[in-house]
Amino acid sequence: MLLCSSSAAIRRISVSWLIMANNSNFKSHRLSRSDDAALALESSTKRPGTMSTHSSLKDAFSSYADHLNALNEKRERIVKASRDVTMNSKKVIFQVHRISKANREEVLEKAEKDLAAVRDQHISRLVKELQGTDFWKLRRAYSPGVQEYVEAATFFKFCQTGTLLNLDEINASLLSLSDPSLEPLQINLLDYLLGLADLTGELMRLAIGRISDGEVEYSERICQFVRDIYRELTLLVPLMDDGSDMKTKMDTMLQSVVKIENACFSVRVRGSEYIPLLGSSDPSSFLVGVSDAEL
Amino acid sequence: MKSALRNAYYFTLSRYSLNPNPSLLHIVPFISTFPSLPSVLSRNHPFRSPLCATLMTGGDSDSPQTSPSLEKQFEKFRVQLEDSGSLRERIRAVVLEIESATRLMQASLLLVHQSKPIPEVLQKANSQINVLKDLYNKLAEVVRECPGQYYRYHGDWRSETQMVVSLLAFMHWLETGNLLMHTEAEEKLGCIEQFGFCFRPGGLSCWCLFHVK
Repeated sequence: MLLCSSSAAIRRISVSWLIMANNSNFKSHRLSRSDDAALALESSTKRPGTMSTHSSLKDAFSSYADHLNALNEKRERIVKASRDVTMNSKKVIFQVHRISKANREEVLEKAEKDLAAVRDQHISRLVKELQGTDFWKLRRAYSPGVQEYVEAATFFKFCQTGTLLNLDEINASLLSLSDPSLEPLQINLLDYLLGLADLTGELMRLAIGRISDGEVEYSERICQFVRDIYRELTLLVPLMDDGSDMKTKMDTMLQSVVKIENACFSVRVRGSEYIPLLGSSDPSSFLVGVSDAEL
Repeated sequence: MKSALRNAYYFTLSRYSLNPNPSLLHIVPFISTFPSLPSVLSRNHPFRSPLCATLMTGGDSDSPQTSPSLEKQFEKFRVQLEDSGSLRERIRAVVLEIESATRLMQASLLLVHQSKPIPEVLQKANSQINVLKDLYNKLAEVVRECPGQYYRYHGDWRSETQMVVSLLAFMHWLETGNLLMHTEAEEKLGCIEQFGFCFRPGGLSCWCLFHVK
């Protein structure tokens, strides 16, 4: 008796489950166990079960399906917006890399406009979607985009003023994006630190580039700046939630710091011998060891 | 120029010396600022020597001081991260207790497979429900301290809670033959958020397959 009603219950639950799973993009791997069990019982027993709670079960599962659908659609929209933020932030970074003594003003002006465009056109989409508990619930969906934006904004600020853009400052710039009635998007500490770690890679590229152009003091300022960031971050990394990606970034950061130091050092020590535009294949060049892909 | 020559000297020394100790002596005063540094140096890292040069040049007062606003910001971050770390530890402690109560429930429920009478089996398991209710209250209290960050720590208790819900559903089904609804589960545990309803079919199907055999 117990066996029959259990088979009916399994069947009811599986049917509702299948309906719900088909209606939403629910992860299907959990479905298979109940599926197999239902099929096994179908073949072994023939008596139908009671139908009393069937409709309430259906209703409950269809409301679960609706909830999951809405969540997944929101997540899709956020991932799309985050991808756009990433792409456009990268464009800003490439723009700033073109900086030199000659074109400094115009490069920075264009970069500032592009950065504002990223904020107004793409980050605003994130602001609309993320309310309340969504900030942490859906963090994995928008985190890469936000990290890239932090990288671009801090890079721009450094080239403009030589200082680090604070988390408070960056969040203040985002306040204007949202309606006062909505909760503003505030970048959280973890995304800020991850973006900062990527910033050091870009600064390394900038430093090497500036040295090739002969701006040695500028590169030394970059060197000091990157050292400071690295020093501060070593204290924070062990404390971060899921710090594994941060740990790999710290290794890369150390390599960037050392590359900048080696470059600045070589120029200092061999200053009189220094000839700009040395290729990296030249064995006496300080650029030996820096692969072309990273320049 | 003198400082550059001095730096070059130390650089060459640390790079070519077979015994790494001389360079370690130089960095001893800086150990306090680099807590992770000994591990960096002990690895046979190709970048070890230049880092010693870094510390040497750091000692010269040619370079400007780190800006105080930078230091202040990172100090604030450190405090925030330490707080969240200790919160996570407290959550972990409660979750471990939840896990042990769950194990007791599960063990007593296994008697069902040995065809023991159901009310007897359920009685033991039911006694654990109150324990769980208290634990979840404790958890809710801890989580209430960080409003809005529920999902930041959600992963720490998610799988344990799914197990609890699946056991509750199983017990409910043994008693009544019906599926435990989300709202009923909430009442039993006094919980605040949806979790783990996806896990239920697994438990029931396991039991039925076993019985068929």
